[in-house]
Amino acid sequence: MRPASFEYHRATSLEHALELLGEFGENGRPIAGGQSLVPMMNFRLARPGHLVDINRLPLDAIEIAGPVLRIGALTRHIAYFDNPWIARHFPAFLDAVHYIGHPTIRRNGSIGGSISHADPTAELPAISVLYDADIVARSVTGERRIKAQEFFLSAYVTALEPGEMVVAVEFPIPPAASTGSFIELGERSGDFATASIGISLEHGGGKIVRAAMVCCGADLFPMRAPEVEDFLVGKPLVNPSGAEAGCIFAASIDPVDDHIASADYRRGLIAELTHRAIEAACTRALDKS
Amino acid sequence: MKADRPKHIGARVQRFEDTRLLSGSARYIDDIRLPDMLHLSFVRADTAHANIVEIDTSALADLEYATWVFTGKDTAGLSMKAHQDYPEMQYSEQPLLAEGKVRFVGEPVAVVLAEDAYRAEDAAELVFVDYETLPVIGTMAQARDSSLPSLFDGWASNVIVQRQMKGGDLEAAKAAAAHVIKRTYSTQRQAGVPMECRGVVASYDHADRVLTVWSSTQMPHLVRTYISEELDLPESRIRVVAPDVGGGFGVKGQVFGDEVLVAWLAMKTGRPVKWIEDRREHLIASIHARDHQHTLEAYVSADGRLLGLKADITVDNGAYSTFPFTSAGEPGMVGKVLPGPYDFQAYEATFRAVATNKCAIGTYRGVARPSAVFSQERLMDDIAKELGMDPFDFRLKNIIRQFPYKNVLGFSYDEGSYAQSLEQMQALLAEDVTEAAASRSSSTKRVGVGIACFIEQTAHGTPDFTRRRVPIETGYIAARVEMSPDGEVTIDLGLQNHGQGLETTMAQVAADALGVNPENVYVRHGDTLTTPYSVGTWGSRGGALGGGAVHLASLKLAAKLKTIAAHLLQAKPDEIELANGNAYVRDAVQRFIPIRKLARAALRNVDQLPEGMQPGLEAEQRQDGPKDGTYSNAVHAAVVEIDIPTGKMKLRRFVVVEDCGTILNPLVVDGQVRGGVVQGIGSAMFEHFIYDAECQPLTTSFADYLMPLAPEIPNIEVHHIETPTPLTPLGAKGLGEGGAIGPAAAIANAVANALDVGVSCTPLNTNAIWKLSQHLRGAA
Ligand SMILES: Cc1cc2nc3c(=O)[nH]c(=O)nc-3n(C[C@H](O)[C@H](O)[C@H](O)COP(=O)(O)OP(=O)(O)OC[C@H]3O[C@@H](n4cnc5c(N)ncnc54)[C@H](O)[C@@H]3O)c2cc1C
Repeated sequence: MRPASFEYHRATSLEHALELLGEFGENGRPIAGGQSLVPMMNFRLARPGHLVDINRLPLDAIEIAGPVLRIGALTRHIAYFDNPWIARHFPAFLDAVHYIGHPTIRRNGSIGGSISHADPTAELPAISVLYDADIVARSVTGERRIKAQEFFLSAYVTALEPGEMVVAVEFPIPPAASTGSFIELGERSGDFATASIGISLEHGGGKIVRAAMVCCGADLFPMRAPEVEDFLVGKPLVNPSGAEAGCIFAASIDPVDDHIASADYRRGLIAELTHRAIEAACTRALDKS
Repeated sequence: MKADRPKHIGARVQRFEDTRLLSGSARYIDDIRLPDMLHLSFVRADTAHANIVEIDTSALADLEYATWVFTGKDTAGLSMKAHQDYPEMQYSEQPLLAEGKVRFVGEPVAVVLAEDAYRAEDAAELVFVDYETLPVIGTMAQARDSSLPSLFDGWASNVIVQRQMKGGDLEAAKAAAAHVIKRTYSTQRQAGVPMECRGVVASYDHADRVLTVWSSTQMPHLVRTYISEELDLPESRIRVVAPDVGGGFGVKGQVFGDEVLVAWLAMKTGRPVKWIEDRREHLIASIHARDHQHTLEAYVSADGRLLGLKADITVDNGAYSTFPFTSAGEPGMVGKVLPGPYDFQAYEATFRAVATNKCAIGTYRGVARPSAVFSQERLMDDIAKELGMDPFDFRLKNIIRQFPYKNVLGFSYDEGSYAQSLEQMQALLAEDVTEAAASRSSSTKRVGVGIACFIEQTAHGTPDFTRRRVPIETGYIAARVEMSPDGEVTIDLGLQNHGQGLETTMAQVAADALGVNPENVYVRHGDTLTTPYSVGTWGSRGGALGGGAVHLASLKLAAKLKTIAAHLLQAKPDEIELANGNAYVRDAVQRFIPIRKLARAALRNVDQLPEGMQPGLEAEQRQDGPKDGTYSNAVHAAVVEIDIPTGKMKLRRFVVVEDCGTILNPLVVDGQVRGGVVQGIGSAMFEHFIYDAECQPLTTSFADYLMPLAPEIPNIEVHHIETPTPLTPLGAKGLGEGGAIGPAAAIANAVANALDVGVSCTPLNTNAIWKLSQHLRGAA
């Protein structure tokens, strides 16, 4: 449980970090909060020859940039907790971060790290998929934006190329008449989820006008639920048929079966969480209006 | 007039050792750093059952740094031997490093030493072991299938040992029974998880031929004896030191092969050698616990009297036998304790340990009793349900009320508060019981109440170990009490303190006998150089027997102080009282002399001593356990709330009513009970060490092996009843393990109550609860 040997480099600027990462390619890795990377290295599941410490870089701003909320890659999980603006515009986001780990982990862990690590049941990847966020990645050759839905390829596998790093995640700001919710269940508080469901809704005239839903625990990456999203359109906020939506979704998935939870249990749980998340989001919408 | 005599025993004294432990200044095994020290990394089997074809270490030669590598060929003949002398028991040894064959994932195959721990681990990765894999014995059923090959040459089957205990006329009980209730219960395999993993450092001084071994152990003297016998060194030239030990829980209460191995390597290389176990090693290859299956058949009269009990017990022991409690210990304990606190006189238990390709079972807080009490108390609820009786009423009808009580196996129970504790618990839970009953109409949220009533044989001593023929052999605990010329007291204790508060409680005991303050008593332990021979701290014996030894040794010292005081105050020794740092003449408190002056007289101004008295102020005492131990008792209760659609269970309340005889320090008792309960909650709901069908471990880190965390733990309410025992010098009974014994049963009973189902196994994790509540979710 000790890491294999590696060289440590402290990046002094973004350009410096990109240069180093470009130079090391496959053999280099950025280190942010270290809350996922260090355990992986101690188990020797990750063996980067070079670590590029990006913690000194000024990448921790949360800012509204026109139509998007732009969150710098080094923003720590703790930063959202007392942000009423996020609570108002991205309620599912704020719900979700409360489920992340424990205080120490939230103080150290970063959004860039969480997104890049791509744990299949991590909250921030799920939230970025739910809100159709853009992952802003940079390398020495330039910047590109990757749609969250195209970013997470499998468990711990992303669309990032060697030499590339995440600099920010951009969330389109939902319209005023919108709300959402995020519910998860794990064995213990702070554990990665056995399953979780996020819902984001636009509503008008007491009805759902547009819906997005994300689920963790059904596959090896956070997946959207197009059949539920379609089903929900036109449903009343009062009694939105959440239970039925849960059944529809549960019938369409083939969840993971492991020693924490059987596939049957996950399917049942996901149906129930879908129901509850929809109810919670609709209740919020009604409370607001 | 009488001197005002403070009583320290029973006082809520804050633990002295906490200053050190909580400020980060404790010294643990990893803090031992010696010049020229080599670091050890193990190469461990990654397959569960295989012949070793070849171990190729040639890659190490290409490294830029020096390494030393050893395999089973080098250590041939050195092994761990843990055998109980029953004719039915099949013999096995575990070589220090595998010789020819590996029998579980994690078994040490080779060691690599290097100048630093990182390099040792890098180099160990380069050792290539070629295995020829063999089919595994992975389940109890496979182990009992005599057509499958045995794990050891010369064995007739994989049943390591099978024995029987009985008493009374079971056939008559069966014939008289109106109800026969038969159930099978099982408890899952667990790891024992102290916060600090294990570790060993050894250094050999060639000049004086003295071997020093530091080990994170609960039993330094026993480690010394085993090393001496295995390495053929005189015990006088071996010093074993247990530094601060960051939790033991019984896991560190066995002698491990690595302790012998590291000592051997220090001698072999001529340099100090250090090994610090990492969490993965700890989880896969120290010891495991629980993993029982019990089939019980109860014979009950029409009016709800328990007439007899028949039991069939199997323990999945894993591959090897651990020293000193052996693979016969765990099943034997179940057979012995199943009669519990209930009054019936016909019993028969058949119990066995079977060998599988898994890590060995060892002792972990509670030792077999959490599993035994799980089955016993689940059974009591199942019987009550079948008879349509209230669980409290059924227990109260069958509980033992007359003491001393001779149980069906001939064990004598000293006085306890069995019925009283049940009645007290019944009153404490009245509201919860009502709420649980009301929740029966809900199909989404249920509340359940469950209890576990149990006794625990504690303070076992030599007679018990002789009867069990277990290689621990002896059970006394020794203490030496010494006063220095300034009147300060030192206790050298044969126990090792790793969370029991002994540095405080033992000082309280000595202070009462010697008339000094506990602050003036320095308790030393864990070092064979300074402490008298004892077999260590485990088995709920420290307070009862260690406290007894300290008490009696202190009284001897007090007697000498009184004689000196009488001489100097011109009184008779039996007129002298020691209190508040002074020796007084009873009924004439103005005639006194400070104890420190007596100490000075005894050690420096010896001309002041009575004629013919030897100088010196020290006394020693060994305290053994009573023939059948002394029986603590407790009732645990859990109140759970279950969300039926998701299976999520919340522990709302956990209540303990316990009786451990004389309480030395209520803060320490509460702490011991609460810590044990938390571990019991782990057994009930979270902890599960899982092997797949090929005996590959799946839960090798804290990401998969789930410990109970603070947010899952309710406030644990502890209520005390004090029934002192006549069998130990202070009336104290053991209490270290009890907290961990009841929770699995109490929580399972609460779940059974909430969901109106039978519960036959743990852990009751979310998935399990969801399955158990299937019938309440209708057609889904
Ligand atoms: C006990 C425990 C419980 C936890 N529970 C949860 C939980 O419930 N939910 C949850 O979501 N997480 C949980 N985590 C993980 C935590 O949220 C981590 O903080 C997060 O996954 C990674 O963030 P980090 O900044 O620590 O990244 P690091 O560990 O530093 O890095 C993780 C990976 O991302 C890469 N990386 C880091 N920054 C960048 C970047 N800007 N661009 C490209 N690659 C980058 C690294 O090279 C590495 O591969 C838990 C962790 C622990 C130890």
